[in-house]
Amino acid sequence: MNNTKNVPEKKSNTPILIIGGVLVVALLAGWYLLSSPKTATNTNGNTAKANAANTTKPTIPANAPLGANPPNQLGSPTALVTLEEFADFQCPQCGAVNPIMNEIKSTYGSRIRFIFRNFPLAIPAHDKSYDAAVACEAAGMQSPNKFWEMQNLLFTNQRIWTADPNYRTTWKDYAQKIGLDVAKWENDMAGIAAKSRVDEDMRRGKGLGVNSTPTLYLNGVDVPFQQMNVTSLKQLIDAELAKAAPQNQSAPAASANTGNTNK
Amino acid sequence: MTEQVTAPVQRTIAKLPLAAAVVALGGLADAVYLTAHHYNAEPVPCGAAFDCEMVLTSPFATLGGIVNWFSPETMAPTGSVSDIPLAAFGAAAYFVAFALATLTAFGDRRMWKVFGAQVVLMAFFSGWLIYVQAALIGAFCQFCLISAAITFTLFTIFVISLFIQPKTT
Repeated sequence: MNNTKNVPEKKSNTPILIIGGVLVVALLAGWYLLSSPKTATNTNGNTAKANAANTTKPTIPANAPLGANPPNQLGSPTALVTLEEFADFQCPQCGAVNPIMNEIKSTYGSRIRFIFRNFPLAIPAHDKSYDAAVACEAAGMQSPNKFWEMQNLLFTNQRIWTADPNYRTTWKDYAQKIGLDVAKWENDMAGIAAKSRVDEDMRRGKGLGVNSTPTLYLNGVDVPFQQMNVTSLKQLIDAELAKAAPQNQSAPAASANTGNTNK
Repeated sequence: MTEQVTAPVQRTIAKLPLAAAVVALGGLADAVYLTAHHYNAEPVPCGAAFDCEMVLTSPFATLGGIVNWFSPETMAPTGSVSDIPLAAFGAAAYFVAFALATLTAFGDRRMWKVFGAQVVLMAFFSGWLIYVQAALIGAFCQFCLISAAITFTLFTIFVISLFIQPKTT
């Protein structure tokens, strides 16, 4: 850009001082913003965030709509820790979280109760998500296991069928793959029962103020998305299990599910 | 005669890196704010037409989420590196842009080319992030749009500098 030789005549420290000053101000501003909010101090990565979540008040009101009954659930209905996930089959983040949830489910087994709620978002980019939820519910009407198999297939292949104009044919292939009675599955998809279950889940989600997916509740406490990773979730669940254990010993009669879910 | 033509041009050119430095500071402030938000998990104030939380808690807000999106088969449980917010990279990028523009403003013209290369990359990435908000998330975050606007402004400043180079050598 310069029309003369570009060698600076004299090295000045001024730009370095300005740049250094801005760096210091930016770091101080970041530190101030991190330390000043209402949440607990955050100095130690996931653990600190997990602790912050533990201080959050339960966010599920007692009079919230119940959702589909019985819910799509795994683990023990009487477990002391309940995870309730609201998800949309076309939401990429839900697809990313699905294997994390699978690991959590297999790690904790009957020590937790995992509930999956359909919450298809009504946005143009998710034009197939309601149908996907119905397809999954229709699979579940043949057997609860088929629901989870279809749910996994839909999440795993999310990018394939989302971009496929003949997505229903693709889903039919999935239905055959998991051994569904395809004619019945198609019939159930067209029927009212599967749709009603999706609508019930959506009603519950709206009642709880869910406005994005995935939304996850751990014993009624909203888990921030940043904590939807295996390490943080294990910390949170272990903390809940540890909290519940002494209570369970001292009051075995009160060992019913403490989650705020239906049933 | 030539001097009379080029002198104002020279002054304009000298002002562009200064303007870029000031604009980059705005981007730095925005990105630092969003980075702090990510780590303390506090909701940001959001306009009625936006859904900041939906965007800022989406996987596209973190390094791991973006890696997963482009390469789902390599997805691993997220750790501290994966959890680094995109805003932190934005803060670093704006700081570097600020530094390059400042060095240019103080006479080191070679830095302007580096600045140009950087803002071109940033503009492409910002464009992709707008697509992500519109098509994949289905919601917008005002702070992300402000950041994109700042990046496009930096890009525009650089493009303008290319067109008003003095003709004489």
